Amino acid sequence: MSDRIVSALRRGNRAIGLACGLLLLATGGLILVEILMRQTPFGALGGSDEYAGYAMAAIATWGFSYALVERAHIRIDLLQRQLLPAGRVALDLLSLLLLTATTWVVTFHAWSVLAKTLDRGSRANTPLETPLWIPQTLWFGGWVWFALTGTLLLLVVVALIFRRRFAAVDAVAGCDLEEGHER
Amino acid sequence: MIWSVAAALLALLALSIPVGVVLFLLGFGVDLFFSPLPLIRGLGQVVWSASDSSLLIAIPFFVLLGEILVRAGIAERTYKALDAWLSWLPGGLIHANIGTATMFSATSGSSVATAATVATVAMPQAERLGYDPRLFSGAIAAGGTLGIMIPPSINLIVYGFLTETSIPRLFLAGLVPGLLLALSFMVITAAICKLRPALGGPLLGPSLGGRGRDFAWSERLSGLADLIPILLLFGVVIGSIYRGWATPTEAAALGVAMAGLIAAWHRALTRDMLVEALLGTMRITAMIMLIIVAAYFLNYTLASAGLGRELRGFLDGLGLGPYGTLIAIVLLYIVLGFFVETLSLMVATIPIVVPIVAGLGFDKVWFGILLILLIEMALITPPVGLNLYVVQGARKGGNLAEVMLGATPYVLTMMLMALLLILVPGLALWLPESAGG
Repeated sequence: MSDRIVSALRRGNRAIGLACGLLLLATGGLILVEILMRQTPFGALGGSDEYAGYAMAAIATWGFSYALVERAHIRIDLLQRQLLPAGRVALDLLSLLLLTATTWVVTFHAWSVLAKTLDRGSRANTPLETPLWIPQTLWFGGWVWFALTGTLLLLVVVALIFRRRFAAVDAVAGCDLEEGHER
Repeated sequence: MIWSVAAALLALLALSIPVGVVLFLLGFGVDLFFSPLPLIRGLGQVVWSASDSSLLIAIPFFVLLGEILVRAGIAERTYKALDAWLSWLPGGLIHANIGTATMFSATSGSSVATAATVATVAMPQAERLGYDPRLFSGAIAAGGTLGIMIPPSINLIVYGFLTETSIPRLFLAGLVPGLLLALSFMVITAAICKLRPALGGPLLGPSLGGRGRDFAWSERLSGLADLIPILLLFGVVIGSIYRGWATPTEAAALGVAMAGLIAAWHRALTRDMLVEALLGTMRITAMIMLIIVAAYFLNYTLASAGLGRELRGFLDGLGLGPYGTLIAIVLLYIVLGFFVETLSLMVATIPIVVPIVAGLGFDKVWFGILLILLIEMALITPPVGLNLYVVQGARKGGNLAEVMLGATPYVLTMMLMALLLILVPGLALWLPESAGG
């Protein structure tokens, strides 16, 4: 069961990661069009800067959960490496627990930002006057999904610990310097 | 407050808690214990404004640019071409290591990626030609660190973002010191290999010891064709920023498009390649962004809780004067650099250190370059020096101690460079000032 959850999370988040990548490419395309338009007599469209910011917010938050299942968030394992398997697993559990708790706190406060925007119908203070709820919903959704992914992984890790499958815990929530680090 | 935060930072990092989470927790702690107002109410807004950034999106663009070039096999071509041009120097192929790292730094914003790329290409050659592995691998680890100094640099973007310093100015400021450092690496290599020929290449016989191989001019000229696209890419990205034609983000997007064209020219731009490059980019971007967003929040809580006032009092109490304090800060970074991973070191210390330095009257752009140099050093000093591990990971045998030993001359070179940069700030500041930016 837990293995099925983990592999489903990996597959799902890989698809999300790829979607973020495509959004990045599309944003790059938009910026290039803007640069080219500037050279023509018609002048620039304007606004690619603003959209790039919204794209960054969405890419970052939705990418968090992909990085989490790929164990790409940096941890310093100098001390952890010296411990026995039980100690290592305890730190993996603590890390995931704090990460998930922190993520829920941020998600809660992210909601208050979005709620205020919805409440007031706020628009961006730019010529485009983009209704801010659109980019903020994307951004908020990424935080919710990050928190959910963390929670599911946490449940899996607890289940694995009860069955004393320490190696499996390492594969799900261990430190992974080689893979995650800026490669 | 400073000491509690610093102690909590080190303790949480030692427990292997993810760095971004540590910074958020510290922010919560500062709010809880040191602030009269509930700062957490601003959390959502701070996190939104940190991530809604058309500046930071330059980071994934530069990462993607590097990923595409690596996967298109550009590193192999560059290495071969530079081998033909540089191997006559004492130390032979080692100069190609440094040269390739320099070229790659000029397109990649990451030191670890640069070291990994060069190591993968160069290591098989070292074994084939019978080089002494120590200096050879040390040069790759050290050369790789140039990635964050020579623009474009992800670390400089992060620094500029957190300290509100102009990214174009930072990029231009890094260029001269970066190239000078690369040159110093080559000079020190040549000097060492002149004195101890056995370290610098295949021993082809007593008379040829340490002397490089010779290449025909036709070979050198044909290699040039592989160097030109990279130089062109670098010229467009940095040139457009220098001339003020494009913002860093626009230059980065332009760079990605050019990298795509170069890859397509070599028939390496396939769907699978692009998918892997995009996924790799997302992993790195998300990892960096979590840390940046958290650092931005910590920054905000520290500033609101009155860090500036406390620091001023602390410094007045020390009475070291501007240069005394600066030296103390440099020493602090050298010591912390032994133990703390570099991006984390940078991001976690910027909110505390940069206000001090700026308060002493030093230039923030100049200090950014000095900080990057210290961070580069941290990348190749044990026990936590990521580039050492990356290079060791690309070797087929031997142990980490050999890489550490081989990196030592370069660490010393960097220390001299840091001293030079303090004595002659113009090294960094001349170019941005000439651009009038």
